[in-house]
Amino acid sequence: MRNRISLVSSAAMVAAAGLVLSGCASAADDSNGDAAADGDISICYVTAAEAHPYVTPANEAFDEAAAEAGVTVTRLSQEFDVQTGTEQLNTCIGQSPDGIVLWPLDPQAYIPGLISAQDAGIPVVLINSPMDDEALEFVTSFTGPDTYNQGVIAADLLNDLLGAEGNVVIIAGQAGNGTTIGRTDGFTERLDELGSSIEVLQIVNADFDQQKALEASRDLITRFGDDLDAVYANDDTMARGFIDAWAESGRSLDDIPPIMGINGQQDAFESIKAGQFFATIVQSPREDGKLALNTIVSAARGEAVEARIPIPLTTVTIDNVDDVEPAL
Amino acid sequence: MNARRNIFTSDAFHGLVRNRVVIILAATLIIGATFVPGFLEFRTASLGLDRMATLGLVAIGLTVVLIAGQLDLSGGAILALSGIATIGLQAELGQIPAAFVGLGVGIAAGAINGFLVVVLRINSLVATLASMLFFRALAHLITESRPVSGIDPFFGLAVSRPIGGTFTGRTLIFFVLIILLHLWLTRSVAGRQLFAVGSNPASAEASGIRSRAYLFGAFVFSGTMAGVAGVIQSLSVNTGSPVFGENIVLIAIAAVVIGGTRLEGGRGSALGTLGGLLTIAALTTAMEYQSVPSYVQAIVTGVILLLLILLDRTVSGSQRRDVTLAALWRRARSSRSSRITERTLHHEK
Amino acid sequence: MTTPVPPPPGRTINRGLFSHYGARLGLPAGILVTLIAGALVSDRFLTVQNLTNVLINMSIIGIIVVGMTFVFVTRGLADLSVPATVAVGGLLVLGLESSIGTIPAAIVGVLAAAIAGGINGWLIGYAGLNPVITTLASGTIVLGIAQVFVGGVIVYGDNTEAQAFLTGRVFGVVPVIVLIFLAVVVIGHLVLSRSMLGRWSYAVGSNPSATGASAVPVKRVRAIAFLMTGTLSGFSGVLLGITLQTARPGIGTGYEFDAITAVVVGGVSLLGGSGTVLYAFGGLLFVQLLTNIMVLLGVPTEPQGLVKGALIVGAVAIDVALRRRGGRE
Repeated sequence: MRNRISLVSSAAMVAAAGLVLSGCASAADDSNGDAAADGDISICYVTAAEAHPYVTPANEAFDEAAAEAGVTVTRLSQEFDVQTGTEQLNTCIGQSPDGIVLWPLDPQAYIPGLISAQDAGIPVVLINSPMDDEALEFVTSFTGPDTYNQGVIAADLLNDLLGAEGNVVIIAGQAGNGTTIGRTDGFTERLDELGSSIEVLQIVNADFDQQKALEASRDLITRFGDDLDAVYANDDTMARGFIDAWAESGRSLDDIPPIMGINGQQDAFESIKAGQFFATIVQSPREDGKLALNTIVSAARGEAVEARIPIPLTTVTIDNVDDVEPAL
Repeated sequence: MNARRNIFTSDAFHGLVRNRVVIILAATLIIGATFVPGFLEFRTASLGLDRMATLGLVAIGLTVVLIAGQLDLSGGAILALSGIATIGLQAELGQIPAAFVGLGVGIAAGAINGFLVVVLRINSLVATLASMLFFRALAHLITESRPVSGIDPFFGLAVSRPIGGTFTGRTLIFFVLIILLHLWLTRSVAGRQLFAVGSNPASAEASGIRSRAYLFGAFVFSGTMAGVAGVIQSLSVNTGSPVFGENIVLIAIAAVVIGGTRLEGGRGSALGTLGGLLTIAALTTAMEYQSVPSYVQAIVTGVILLLLILLDRTVSGSQRRDVTLAALWRRARSSRSSRITERTLHHEK
Repeated sequence: MTTPVPPPPGRTINRGLFSHYGARLGLPAGILVTLIAGALVSDRFLTVQNLTNVLINMSIIGIIVVGMTFVFVTRGLADLSVPATVAVGGLLVLGLESSIGTIPAAIVGVLAAAIAGGINGWLIGYAGLNPVITTLASGTIVLGIAQVFVGGVIVYGDNTEAQAFLTGRVFGVVPVIVLIFLAVVVIGHLVLSRSMLGRWSYAVGSNPSATGASAVPVKRVRAIAFLMTGTLSGFSGVLLGITLQTARPGIGTGYEFDAITAVVVGGVSLLGGSGTVLYAFGGLLFVQLLTNIMVLLGVPTEPQGLVKGALIVGAVAIDVALRRRGGRE
């Protein structure tokens, strides 16, 4: 009897790994199951993360577009780790797919990998985040928002609002990330261009994460408190962190400085209506994902594609908040 | 003393556990070959190994540290710092000298760790936690949290390209180093003395071995290996970043432990580490091919790790431990009873 | 278990009043110095608002620190599964909130974390596995299962009342969450210093083999330390989830090292058998105050690690030196 118990328990444990693997294998097969339409095109997609307010809907839209086009997708997630991403790019190349879609978290680090992909004759499309210009010669296309322009728009809006003077803090995304650099530099350089007297008191990095933004915002509020005239967050998720920190500090939400976010999230829309949020820029993650997939499929089929394909942006303030759909 | 005769105390089982690395590796390869077309092709193997090369270099250093009975959590931070030096100084010093400086950073960092543990007598878990925080912060400070780019992306390409159609440069470097380590551990007097130091540094000291020197050397070696990993890795992506290497140490420890080296010290093997790394490489390749989400991959790795250390416990020491659920339950109940029973069943390690 | 470094030959033992009391006075003196330095550095430092902020920042990690103290005292080395149990608490409380209500969801979250902690305790206390590698492995497994359970995405909550409750203040000054944290500290301290379990914990930590020959249930005490840490981490994860109203799997990342830092700086020895919850609380307070000063000085987040690392080295080196002087080894 004891032998049987021990046999069962040990067998259960050893089988665990195998079962999990096979279960996921069949699940993965099922999810990519629809019969390939033309010659079984396979795409390798290196995405930024599995669980993120913006990335998750982009991934979903990507998968849906893939199912519609009848292509199979292998998805690898960097989990916001550049090193992992560069290695996964190599793994993708090794699988000899018909196309690769890469979400670059760094403007330079993937270049050697992109060179290898080009040598192997695999078309690559960059999604969402920009890379340095020298990277562009190795890729077929870059689809996604113009992040520098988003920074410029933000600068124009805040400059008008504050009458060209005041104190601003910037809650930036992941350090070294192309989107962060674009949205931040676009903002600061535009302020210089306009000759504005707005002073950027501090720039903190909160990795596009609400929790980290909350913790960073506590510090900002501690340090600057009522001296803050406006807040510019690289995305709405982090802006939410600031709002939470403000409320946590016991201050009234009526006194909160105007916040400029990006992405066009549902809760940002609500906050705009409630007067706690100044403006956001709608950028649809679903558009992002869908566009990237369609572009790579075209490239894989040998069709010509544009080198730079932007997705539309809409600025939303209290004036038009009721007329526009939130992006996510 | 109750020595239950069941499957866990049989000789066959012990043979199985002793060779567990080979068995786990074989099982992984079989599962991989079943689910991934082309898994057993040479090209897949070459790429999978290339993927593990950086991790493997860090694991080589950790093998020595673990055999010496210590821990080193700072490998990832040292990797980042070395990479930053290697790439950041390229403009001023040229690529090759900058790489040597990066290596030097690793050696110096290892020496600092050695100082903390051997001279200041701080426990290695705490000491390398402190140095990890310190080095990582230094990396962020120097670069202002931004990655630095090198001058020529083609320069470091050689390390991640297959050489002569076989393995990539960094894979070959890794293989050479791990075989050298294996030979040192098994054939040299110093290597064998390391095991003695790891088992019991005080008694090793008493029999004339300079334990403190060995421990210091272990940390310098680990730091150096992390430095090598940092140099190679940063050259391969032409980037030095303060956030590189964040998760590498814990996975490397897992690989080393899967390979049979124990955290208590005094036992281990470089070939075991190789086996552990190959297992993880095979698993990662297979699971990524099937788009298995990263959190499921984590479950699989964790289960294998737990299973192995549990099995390891059954063959540890002079007494064969019985870890069936029934035996564990009995032990739990008996710990409430008299001290005589406690002493009999008590087996401390 | 990491083996200690052998003593250099010919060491002399030195006893003295300073060495005995030095260790105990060091931390309160350090905190006092920090308060003075802070006031000099910034006029915002000694404000009620700022100091309350410090306490809020301490609350979540502080609950975990109480558990980690027990792990240290019983010579359990460290519990590296904290990020996983915190995440389990956060993910479950928000994931189940809409179907069964916030309080029941919170209970489920804490229970799940407790089970994880209990498994850790079983494997470490009874099967005798190494704590570092075991909690590492179990943490990865538990976090993975929690993510499978919620579908691998971020979980959002919508119970703003609970959120407002926790972040709200009693008498307009003391935040509720700080009160909960302080209550846990007091209870933890009383258990460790006054109860049977506490006395057993010290015994197990200082001399396991001798204790094993007495009537103290060594394995059970070891196991309870990990059960406790898992439960407390789950509890803090639940609180964190409610305050944020979102939970992602990485919600607890880094908390294990923050907790270890606080406990070590507070003077609780990794080798077990000494230290109290109040020491650990003091260590946490000291680190948080220093961090606060750095923030007020405008030091960016990441480079603050320079000070933390140096602090750990300083605190432990002094502790080791004083122990040798005082004759303890």
